[in-house]
Amino acid sequence: MKAERFAGSDGLAGTTLRINLTTGEIKSSPTDTKLMREWYGGRGVVAKILYDEVPRDADPFGPENLFIVSAGVMSGCFIPAGAKVGFGSISPLTNGHGDSNMGGHLGPALKFAGYDLVIMSGIAPKPTYLFIDDDTVELRDAAQYWGMGSLECEPVMKKDLGEDFEIATIGPSGENGIRFSCITHDFGRQAGWTGQGAVMGSKKLKAIAVRGTGSIKVHDLAKLTEHVSAIIKRTKTHPNMDPWQKYGTAFFIEWSNSNAVIPTRNFQTTHFESIDGISGEALVEKCLITHKACFGCWMNCGKYTKAVLPGKETVYLEGPEYETGSLCGSNLGMTDINQVAYLNWLLDNVGMDTMSGGGVIAFGMECFQRGLITTDDLEGHTLNWGSVEDAEHFVDMIVHRRGIGQHFAGGTKRAAEYIGRGSEKFAMQVKGQEMSGYDGRYAPGMMLAYMTCDIGAHHNRAWTITVDMAEGRETIEGRAKVVIYLQHIRPLFDCWCICRLFWGELDIEPEEIVESLNDITGWNITAADAFKTSEKIWNLVRCQYLERNRADGRTFDYPPARAWEDKIPTGPGAGKGLTFEQVEGMLDDYYACRGWDPKGNPSREVLHDLGLDFAADNLEKIGLLGKPLPNGIPAVRGERYKPKAF
Amino acid sequence: MPIQRIKVVSAKCTGCRLCRQICAISHFGDINPQKAALKIEAHFPQPGVYRPRVCTQCGKCREVCPEGAIYRREDGAYIVVAEKCTNCGLCIPACKPGVIFQHSEVPYVIICDNCFKCTELCNTGAITIHTAPVKEGA
Amino acid sequence: MTIFLKAGGQLRAKLNPDVDYYTRKVEIDGGKTIAEILDAISLNPAFVALIHVDGKLKDLSYTPSDGQTIILQPPVSGG
Repeated sequence: MKAERFAGSDGLAGTTLRINLTTGEIKSSPTDTKLMREWYGGRGVVAKILYDEVPRDADPFGPENLFIVSAGVMSGCFIPAGAKVGFGSISPLTNGHGDSNMGGHLGPALKFAGYDLVIMSGIAPKPTYLFIDDDTVELRDAAQYWGMGSLECEPVMKKDLGEDFEIATIGPSGENGIRFSCITHDFGRQAGWTGQGAVMGSKKLKAIAVRGTGSIKVHDLAKLTEHVSAIIKRTKTHPNMDPWQKYGTAFFIEWSNSNAVIPTRNFQTTHFESIDGISGEALVEKCLITHKACFGCWMNCGKYTKAVLPGKETVYLEGPEYETGSLCGSNLGMTDINQVAYLNWLLDNVGMDTMSGGGVIAFGMECFQRGLITTDDLEGHTLNWGSVEDAEHFVDMIVHRRGIGQHFAGGTKRAAEYIGRGSEKFAMQVKGQEMSGYDGRYAPGMMLAYMTCDIGAHHNRAWTITVDMAEGRETIEGRAKVVIYLQHIRPLFDCWCICRLFWGELDIEPEEIVESLNDITGWNITAADAFKTSEKIWNLVRCQYLERNRADGRTFDYPPARAWEDKIPTGPGAGKGLTFEQVEGMLDDYYACRGWDPKGNPSREVLHDLGLDFAADNLEKIGLLGKPLPNGIPAVRGERYKPKAF
Repeated sequence: MPIQRIKVVSAKCTGCRLCRQICAISHFGDINPQKAALKIEAHFPQPGVYRPRVCTQCGKCREVCPEGAIYRREDGAYIVVAEKCTNCGLCIPACKPGVIFQHSEVPYVIICDNCFKCTELCNTGAITIHTAPVKEGA
Repeated sequence: MTIFLKAGGQLRAKLNPDVDYYTRKVEIDGGKTIAEILDAISLNPAFVALIHVDGKLKDLSYTPSDGQTIILQPPVSGG
């Protein structure tokens, strides 16, 4: 059918689509510019829509959950790395607000086709894909694609529809409701956190295919072109540019190892003896085919590679980047980059997030190491560290929910609940979301970042390891403020749907990015305004989490007991670790700095200050509104971090 | 004036399409890479290579143009005279690299005009300016 | 001898560049390793993730020669 499209301006494409997958009804309306302005597009708008529209008792896999695709206000515009597309829904991993984003070319294509937001509800009666070709918007039969691997499906769909379509797919993992499934696009870009691929699968939505040929209107194109061209030309000679282009994030593997943060064998230790085999250098030397960039990005951190393993077919993939390299590398005891790349391909193709997936396999391996699961549970197979065969078989059991695999299909938290016998201690997750590729035991700020991250233990919201090093790795002093500052700045990129990597790496200050944002939107905001809006989104997401999960916030904010019970046994961090008192102390500091009460519930004062009185009322009704703080709330929550001189 | 054109090294292209963005912005004041006079072909999943397609200044477009709307400028670029072009599209199949095209919002065909804005932004050296050596006695 | 240290990101401010926006010139006796050079200018090597010399990865024990440019890369802001 032809969808009515509305004229866009100031960075917005103009049209919002609402699609009821149950009935097949497709409605278009002008994008709500006030909503976009107030909640900054992307993650913020998704958070508000989920808060307003999804009933608190809705099953993440049920028809009432929404699946939202958003291209933010900057994606597709002439801005470095303006390539992102965001996905949002209530997460089947955490049962709270979930969002995840990816680069590539899909977000821009959606904008060029004329759409800022696609909000899907219901459940399709049969496997379906969403087809968008400018003003043609259709739900089409996906029977011929259902069951295909993500990486296999994309070229087939391109052949069927046209090479110039941008396609996002899920694999069998998402189709089968494995809770940590991802969405794959552009032969290896993923939106992996919070199980967005599983939600897509629950809605019987196999893929999204988009082609757009229209233009994006911005507020001041002349200024934008001048500012952005200057950024690109200036940073071409930046000392980080060359190594970044060459290795992407994978160069960081070695650093992480020598600084005692790399997760090794399910976070048992933070030092991996075979690090050279899986380093960024090994990747470039042994696997690299071509460097690969997202739309409009001059840093090309993507590494398109192939994995060659004896006895296996040669496979083509993008990665492994740092997170996959650590979580499917050292964390599984893999000693060769080709093994890591093969697992990367395997998980990409079945449609499992390599981060959560690596975490789940590692948890299984440690259970096997400790005799909590045996070959009897594994159809006669072993599950040993460093074995690709074992990992591959285990993944197959999970994807097809065979035997013990069905209990791991819910992620490490649910698997640990099933296995019990003390395994909860090393189920490396918070709120149900598996940890990223950094151990926080000798980086307390990082541990706090995991504990308090709104989508579970993810590094996306705050990453503090260099700060921990600067401020002292054995003390927790001042870490709460830094974590909060980062939790405000980093998610802004997810609102605007641009990549954040150029911010820290190429000396592009928030002010400069906000200047470009103003060129695009005409909003005329300051960096301080942006931080405050980000705080507002953070608090709304917290309220959503409390309202859905009905207990004091603090109860959800603890890491697994390994965080304080086990000291790091080997390597440069040997003997280091946190105490339970430090974990508690960091939470106390954090809540106080946020204007939340010691139970971790936001107070009315802070919610009022952020314009969230409606959320305060909702919390009050269920008895989870934070008590007023004796000394009132801090005037600024999360001051900008300035490193100590040394 | 020396003849200049865009030189391509496919192996260096990362598929970012900054070139297409700046091309459309500088010629049409529009953020719309579909209006760019160069293309990036992506060959994935195998062999995994990007191939920039640019005007090679072969002149076939001028040969087939029934309106005489295309002429060669002294720097080598083939220029479309917008007023003369009827948008008949005969030049499109004649273009070997396939970079001449029509866009619904533009009333004439689009051909690269040697502004080289694309090469200024390319960060990998995949597209650069090639200056032909001046022939002796020319 | 003279060597040039180059850094961006968080590391740039710590390096106190004096040649251009990213670069600091250091006069030092020959035969010193990068670790010793960083020590001499009081730059904590913990903030250096990778070291590149002439497009090759090096470590702190590398001994640069006169006139070389050493790129010091700070750690990424995280994955």
